[in-house]
Amino acid sequence: MALAAEAFMTQLAAAEPWPENAALYQQLKDEQILLSDNASSLAVQAFLQMCNLPVRVVCRANAEYMSPSGKVPFIHVGNQVVSELGPIVQFVKAKGHSLSDGLDEVQKAEMKAYMELVNNMLLTAELYLQWCDDVTVEEKQWEIRRKMKAIGWAGKSLEQVLEDVDQCCQALSQRLGTQPYFFNKQCKGLTFQYRRLVPKIRPTELDALVFGHLFTILTTQLTSDELSEKVKNYSNLIAFCRRIEQQYFEGHDKDSSSSATSRSAKRSLLR
Amino acid sequence: MAAPMELSCWGGGWGLPSVHPESLTVMAYAKFSGAPLTVNAINNCWRAPKGEVPILISEDTVISQPAKILNFLRKQKYNADYELSAKQGADTLAYIALLEEKLLPALLHTFWVEAENYCSVTKPWFASRIPFPLSLYLPGKMSREALNRILLTRGGPPLYSLTEVEAQIYRDAKECLNLLSKRLGTSQFFFGNRPSTLDAFVFGFLAPLYKVCFPRVQLQEHLKQLPNLCRFCDDILSCYFRLAVSGHSPAGQDTVDANLQKLTQLVNKESNLIEKMDDNLRKSPQHPPRKLTTLKLAAGGEESSPLNRLSP
Repeated sequence: MALAAEAFMTQLAAAEPWPENAALYQQLKDEQILLSDNASSLAVQAFLQMCNLPVRVVCRANAEYMSPSGKVPFIHVGNQVVSELGPIVQFVKAKGHSLSDGLDEVQKAEMKAYMELVNNMLLTAELYLQWCDDVTVEEKQWEIRRKMKAIGWAGKSLEQVLEDVDQCCQALSQRLGTQPYFFNKQCKGLTFQYRRLVPKIRPTELDALVFGHLFTILTTQLTSDELSEKVKNYSNLIAFCRRIEQQYFEGHDKDSSSSATSRSAKRSLLR
Repeated sequence: MAAPMELSCWGGGWGLPSVHPESLTVMAYAKFSGAPLTVNAINNCWRAPKGEVPILISEDTVISQPAKILNFLRKQKYNADYELSAKQGADTLAYIALLEEKLLPALLHTFWVEAENYCSVTKPWFASRIPFPLSLYLPGKMSREALNRILLTRGGPPLYSLTEVEAQIYRDAKECLNLLSKRLGTSQFFFGNRPSTLDAFVFGFLAPLYKVCFPRVQLQEHLKQLPNLCRFCDDILSCYFRLAVSGHSPAGQDTVDANLQKLTQLVNKESNLIEKMDDNLRKSPQHPPRKLTTLKLAAGGEESSPLNRLSP
């Protein structure tokens, strides 16, 4: 039955083009928002920017309760509400926009695998760090703790978690190499770069996801810097974040009332 | 050579050396990397396993969790990945994450949560291998932990019903199987001709799904429609686990004589080398390696005969 509902949703989505007033809802900034939720929100924003779909970011204290699945971020498009990056990618695809259509089957499999790596390692590590962080609100801590226990992370030491993060970053760094994006499939059209016309290369949802997490880790101040220090060891990852920030976020600040990138005090990646 | 290491894990059945995915992963890796392991299957005579199974004991060190055990084995120079490039190493991590996030929930569900499967197959099997009175308590605990894990990682807040979560995790698992099948293609292993860590993990997760006979089998049905994945499992079973336990007398098979096992491992290693040489010689379009496997499968039909265990 759930399959039929999904097919119906897809049909609804396909029916209308992307409206001008699409909105993305997330929690309020600063204390309320979890590091991991912030990263997820930024990933969705990056993805929509890459698809060239305008969206304004709205911060609400009760965003979680407004969401149909209880998860943030969620987008409100026309009269439909979709939450989390996975379903949002599907939704956007139904409207005829896709970043990964040009990939072959094996590349798509690889892309999905790397997205799971980010979810599995980075997202979980972010949750873990918040759990250890005293500033996190108590009820969130309890929720996080239950999840950590269920997946066997409760027994991990901070050192082990940081090692896992390092391993993940190493894998991402190796996969990225010296390329601009994780998958560099050439698309239709040319672009002007270094005084030449070169074939366009577009990012995929994997780039959006990795950017969301890495940028958030690099720019959010936790009680300790250990997490961001791990990421900083990989210069190509920092360059990657900078590149996406420049291409998709700078100059858009005036559109949204609360731009993601002008959020945290320690935002400069140029340290 | 260092003193042999001991692996405590769940035993086998249905033609598998172990029915437990994590145990199977470690056993497969040990075979691939040539690590000498004494496998001690947990049965009623054993002390209750402390901590998570599988557990590796080497001299005084005790290690649990497959990833850590594999790391340890690599440090002891039993490395199945040394030919992999950095990118392939990165891919390995990514695909393992895919398995854990997308396949594992449905696998846990099939074994531990699906009521018919749990009551008629899983619970009796595990209970018969756990000393009393733990046998009354432990399977139930494992079942609850499985459900918990599924709900906490895949279910949202109370807004999702269990049925919806179940539908989603099976959908994800089927998609994951499709992705794995596409990635494997017609290769023998995921990275060419030699099995590596990724092959161990994929085998560990897929083989139980493939072989264990459950009443509710939707995921197994899906897997059987992906012939390259089935062939992948069968190949590993026949090439690396010639001592594959037959379904007939699991209790007896589990307590294999350690010396016999060592001897068999040595013989198998020799046979593996010979086969690889054969493979290289026969490498031509007319003679795909598959042919060899088919022959071996046919020969290995009478598994219970002790003589056949020693013949290549």
